[in-house]
This record gives sequence, C-alpha cells and structure tokens, in this order.
Amino acid sequence: MSRPLSSLRPGESGRISSMAVTGPLKRRLMDMGVLVGEAVRVEKVAPLGDPIEITVKGYKLSLRKREAEGILVEDAA
Amino acid sequence: MSTAAETVAVSAGRAQRTVTVAVAGNPNCGKSTLINGIAGTRLQVGNWPGVTVEKKEAQFSHGGRNIRLVDLPGTYSLSPYTQEEVVARDYLVHERPDVIINVVDATNLERNLYLTIQLLELEIPVVIALNIHDEAERKGYRIDRAALEELLGVKVVPTVATRGEGLSALMEAALAAVGTGRPREVSYGEDIETAARAVLARLQEQHPDLAARYPARWLAFKLMEGDSRVLEETGIAADETLWGDALDHLHQAHDEDLESLMADARYGAAAGLAREVVHKPQVRRQELSEKIDRIALHRFLGIPLFFAAMWLVFKLAFDISTPFVDWIDGVTAGPLSRWTEALLGTLGAPDWVVSLVTEGIIGGVGFVLVFVPVIFAMMFFITFLEASGYMARAAFVMDRAMHTMGLHGKSFIPLLIGFGCNVPAIYATRTLENPRDRVLTSLLIPLMSCGARLPVYVLFAAVFFAESAGTVLWSLYVLGIVLAVVMGIVFKRTLFRGEAPLFIMELPPYRLPTLKSLMIHTWEKGKHFLIKAGTYILAVSVVVWFLLNLPWGVQDRQESLLGRAGQTLAPLFEPLGFGRWEAGSALITGLIAKEIVIGTMGEIYVGAMDEPEDPPPSIGEDLREIGSSFLDAVQAAGANVVSTFGIASMSAEEEESPSGLKQAVAQAFTPLSAYAFMAFVLLYAPCVITAIAMRQELSTWKWVGVAFGYQFALAWTVAFVIYQGGRLLGFA
Repeated sequence: MSRPLSSLRPGESGRISSMAVTGPLKRRLMDMGVLVGEAVRVEKVAPLGDPIEITVKGYKLSLRKREAEGILVEDAA
Repeated sequence: MSTAAETVAVSAGRAQRTVTVAVAGNPNCGKSTLINGIAGTRLQVGNWPGVTVEKKEAQFSHGGRNIRLVDLPGTYSLSPYTQEEVVARDYLVHERPDVIINVVDATNLERNLYLTIQLLELEIPVVIALNIHDEAERKGYRIDRAALEELLGVKVVPTVATRGEGLSALMEAALAAVGTGRPREVSYGEDIETAARAVLARLQEQHPDLAARYPARWLAFKLMEGDSRVLEETGIAADETLWGDALDHLHQAHDEDLESLMADARYGAAAGLAREVVHKPQVRRQELSEKIDRIALHRFLGIPLFFAAMWLVFKLAFDISTPFVDWIDGVTAGPLSRWTEALLGTLGAPDWVVSLVTEGIIGGVGFVLVFVPVIFAMMFFITFLEASGYMARAAFVMDRAMHTMGLHGKSFIPLLIGFGCNVPAIYATRTLENPRDRVLTSLLIPLMSCGARLPVYVLFAAVFFAESAGTVLWSLYVLGIVLAVVMGIVFKRTLFRGEAPLFIMELPPYRLPTLKSLMIHTWEKGKHFLIKAGTYILAVSVVVWFLLNLPWGVQDRQESLLGRAGQTLAPLFEPLGFGRWEAGSALITGLIAKEIVIGTMGEIYVGAMDEPEDPPPSIGEDLREIGSSFLDAVQAAGANVVSTFGIASMSAEEEESPSGLKQAVAQAFTPLSAYAFMAFVLLYAPCVITAIAMRQELSTWKWVGVAFGYQFALAWTVAFVIYQGGRLLGFA
C-alpha cells in the first residue's frame, strides 16, 4: 500500500514507490536524491504544520507538503 | 640538455600565463570558507552578468604562477532550472577554466558526488577537495582516497577549510592538473552509454560545429535529457530526428522519461562510488545537530526559541553599533565640520562654498558613515546565522506563516531587520535563493517601521497624544505589519502571479563558522555599501543643499526651491489634513532619511538653531576628544553586550526637540491630521539609501520605481482614510 509522503507522521519511514510530479519540481527532487526506490523517513513537521523535514540519502531535507504530495511511499519491508 | 638560461625562459613563459581555477561544490560544503582560506581579502565581489547571483573572484600568484580563482555559485546539480546552476554551467562550458576544484563534503559523499559526476563530463581537469574530513573521521567514516582517485581518475586532496589544512596541497594539485586532459568517464550504464554514442555519432555527422564547440559527451547527454537551455542555445529542436531510433530502445526498455532515467543513473553511479570508498560504522550515533534540532524545531518550543534568538541578535547588533553611530555623528558634525570651516576660511573661500562643503558634502559623508556600524554589525550576525546552519531552521519554522503572503520562510529575517534599519534588511535578502522571493521581500521591507521614523512619531505623539503616546507608537508599527501582509497578498495575486518558487531546502548540520570567514564577508558588504551607496548619497545631499539655497541668497525658506516645491505639493496633501508647504518640504527632505522630516520642520518653523558659541577648541583638544569619545563608544558597546537588558537602544532617543518646534507643530496640526501625517511618514516611500540598496541588490531600477509608486499610493490612501474617516466620526 502506498501513500503520499506528505501524509506520513514524524518517525514513520518507507521507500519511494513512484513520483507523480513533473517539470522543475521533479528534476529538483531528483537532484536532491529523492528518487524511486530510495528510503525516506519523516523526521519532523514544522511547528505551524508545514513544511516537513525528511531524511534521504543520509542528510536532512525540508520540503512543503504540497511538494511532497506527489511522492508516493510504501512501507519498507 | 637545456641550459640554465633556457630553464629560466621556460619558467618565465609559464609564469606569464594566468591559470584560471574554478571552484565548484554543493551549498554547505564549506566552499566559502575554503575560498576565504585560499584568497582571503584578495577576493573581489560582484555579480554575474545579468543576474543577481554573487560572483567572487581573486587574482594572486602561487608557486610562481598567476592564478585567477573564480568561485562558482553553490549548486547540487547542473540542471537548467535555477539561476545559480545556469551561471555555473555556462561559465564552465563557455569560459573553459583550466582546472576545476570540486569541493565535496566528506560527511555526505554520495550527494556531493552527484555533482562531481556532472563536472567530470565537461572535459576539464578536476581536482577534488575532500573537505570537512575531520568531521567524517569523528563520525567514524573511513574514506579510501586512493580508491576514489583510481575510480575517477582525478586527484583527491583532504582538506579542513576551517583550520586551513590541506589548502596549499590543494593548490599544488590543481596547478599540477592543468593540461592533463580529461578525467575518466563515469559510466551511466550500458543502455544509456550506447544511446549516447549513437547520438554523438549523428551529432558529429550533422552538426560537426556543435560537436567541436561543446564537450561532446556532455552535449549528447543534455540533448537526450531534453535540456531546454542547450536545445535553445544550439538551435536543435527537441523533436529533431537527429537521433532517430537511437533512443527508441531506451524508451521501450524503461517507462520513465529520459531526464529521470539519467538522474537515476547518475545517482546510481554516485551511490556505487560512495559504497566502494566510504566505510561507515555499523552503529549510527545520534548527531549533535539532531539533538539541537529536537529543541530548535520543537513543536511548541520552536517558535518561541526562534523569536528569542532573533531578539538577541537584533539587540546585540544595535547595542554594539549605536555607540559608534553616535561617535561618528559627533565627529563629522563637530570637529570635522569645524576644521573644514577653518581651513576654507583661511583659504578665503566665500561663505556659500563653506556652507556647501560643510552642510552638503560633509553632512552627506557623515550620513553615509553613520550607517556603517549598523550594516557591519547586522551583516556579521546574518552571516553567522547563515553559516552556522540556523538560517535554514528559521526558514523551516516560519515558512508556513510567510508562505501565506507569498513569501519564503527565509523572508522573515530581512523583514525583522527592517524594524531596525531598512538598509541592512535589503542586503539580508541575499539569503533568499529565488529572485522572485528576493524582489517581493524587498518591496515589503520599507513598510517595516525603522528606527529613523521613530523621532517623528516621538515628537508628534508628545505634542498631541501625551497621555497615550505608547499606544500611538505601537499602533504605527502594527499598521506597517498589517499593510505588509495585505500588500504581500496583493502582490502575490497581481505582479507575482503564478506558481510559487520551490521550497525544497537542505537542513545542513550545525557548524561553527570561522571568525575569519565572518569578518571577510562582513567587510565585503560594508565596503560595497560605502563605495556604491556613498557616492549616490553624497550626490543627493548636495542636491538638497542646492534646493535649500537656490535661488542665490534666498533668505525666506518659503522662497527657496524646496519651499516652492513644498508649496506645489501642498494641494496634494490637503485632503490628508496637512496641505501646507512646510509639511510638503519636510516630506521631500525626509526622502533622504525620515528623521530629517523633524530637522527640516525645525529649520522652517524656528529657523536655524544657533547653538551657544563656545570658544572653538584647538585641534589638539579636538583630537583628544575624538580619541577619548571613541574609547567611550567601545566601552559602551561592550557594556551593552554585557548587560543586554540594560540600555534600550531601540527606545525613543532622548533628543530634546526645541520647544518652539513643539508649539509650531501644535498650531499647524490637529491630533487627527498629526496621526494621518505619522502614518504617511511611515509609508510614503523607501528612503533614498534603502532605494539605492534595492538597486544594488536587485540590479534594476524597475523595482525601486514600483516601491516608490505603490508606497506613495498606499500612504496617500491610508492617510486619506484616517483623516476623512476620522472627521466623519467627529474627531478633529
């Protein structure tokens, strides 16, 4: 079962199963290492509810929930 | 066998040619510190042509060779989507430096190698600076440098830029790499490589000129990716059958678009490299940064802590700079003016020259100089926030709130600085990466009520609202904030319609910046301000002097050019409750800095205020006074830092306005028109210095014009509503 990265709660993790994003957003995400098959973990949600902080490729990345909506994540086996 | 003379000639020949070294790397990899360590104060800061991306360059000699060091903007990739990436890429592809120093963060090798792989494609010799390797060692990483050198075919030099370690070896390696030919190719996998070879073959056949002008394999990759900029530059259409069926196989074998496929392959290669050369410990300890962030980004504590941090920075910056501001003010207005007057007197210069030089020129110089301490202090703290990694956290915490007004989380800090002084606030917009965010933030900064507007409020509040002066002051600050929110939303829906820029931002580990790096950066900003802004402000100051003193020998202020201009403007202000030439004139000079409104009113209403003439002190006494007052300022700055809660530098300055001015103001205004006037002063325009800073930062007068236009319209409307609305409600 896959769900958008934006819906994960802090502490939850998974593996990116598909990326329903296009254009500059997609390229930017890929350049930052957010790729299909990559393990991600949501670390925090900002105090006001947006953006979120994730760990990917061993470093910390923050992005807005809207930007994370198209990133689908499935539970890591 | 060569003779000694020949050797000398050869080495002299070598020395003459300047070697261009480009420095590339990810943001937050310690590149600035490394550059500062190598080039120090020899760095020249400017902008890349046509864009507001900062360009740093240095010329120096090392080991008998002339070197031109060019710092490329920090980027994660060389895609065509951000200004920084385009600038870096265009430079490398078209200017062809002799060697690239690629700074990589040893604690995050995989993501850094993603850029490295792209740099290697450009067929320029590369040397890798394996930076921050001390931190990697502390984390228990073991990095096999020899293996990395072998796999990439380039030299890898370990460095710790913060301590200056390895920098000299790095320069040696860079010089040795010049002319060594292309680095090894990192394979994208058989599928892609086969397709690339086919594309390349056809390219050489059909467009031999292009194949020669660009790094060939790189060009093939870019065409496969459908890179918009390269397609445009080369004039090759995206749908051209240049590669015919060469890519069919790729499309059939993978259901992804080629751009994604290649990014995937590139990261695959980077991950493979990292796996082979980095040995990480089994157990991962929680890092210090993560511990700090558990508090700094905490759900409930995050925002209060952010405000506490901002308050501290703000207070320190202004407490440290205020005594120096007063000192500079004292020196230029006192001894410097007196000496010049005396000097010109002995030279037999006419009175008007003396007046022009002391009031117009020295006044203008003094005006520029008083900003210097504030700008230096503020830039020092901004650089610290940025380099330490906290700026990214501030953006994270504030983004939601700022995003509703169309801004970025990082916009908050420049706006906040605006309450102290709009000028360093404009400079602080540099921390925003996206040009749109930068422009929008700059347009809203002048609505933040700066320290120079306070004397105006203080005078009027004291005259008309003695009982509730505090509330009146407070209401003006709130008015500015509310209007900034409103204007932010308006701009977002009008001038800046369209998709908001991406937020996607790394939260780098916290790192303590070096003092040297902070100092160099602060100095660059201060110097920049002094030279650029200084020239303009001097000119404006002289112009104002002429406005006050023309036509020749004018006695009555009302008859001066300024007075006449004020008179012309007066009808415009009639519906706002202050349609008088005095107010009009004061608002004109107030463009230089809003506190001057008071000075001009004083001069008009009560005439030039003659200070009681003491016998002028001797030059020796003056010098002693300058020295001792400077020491006092140093002491005061120190004391302010120690007792952060002590002197409230932001509170109203206890400058006694002459009672004559208060009486005149009491007669000329009513409480209602006074409030409308204060609101007008708050809003009506950015001051000239802010406008010049905007021009510097945004590289165009266009947005400065927009700021003047919208602010004047806004100020007029608000003052109109206040005055006419107040009258309808029965206030006077």
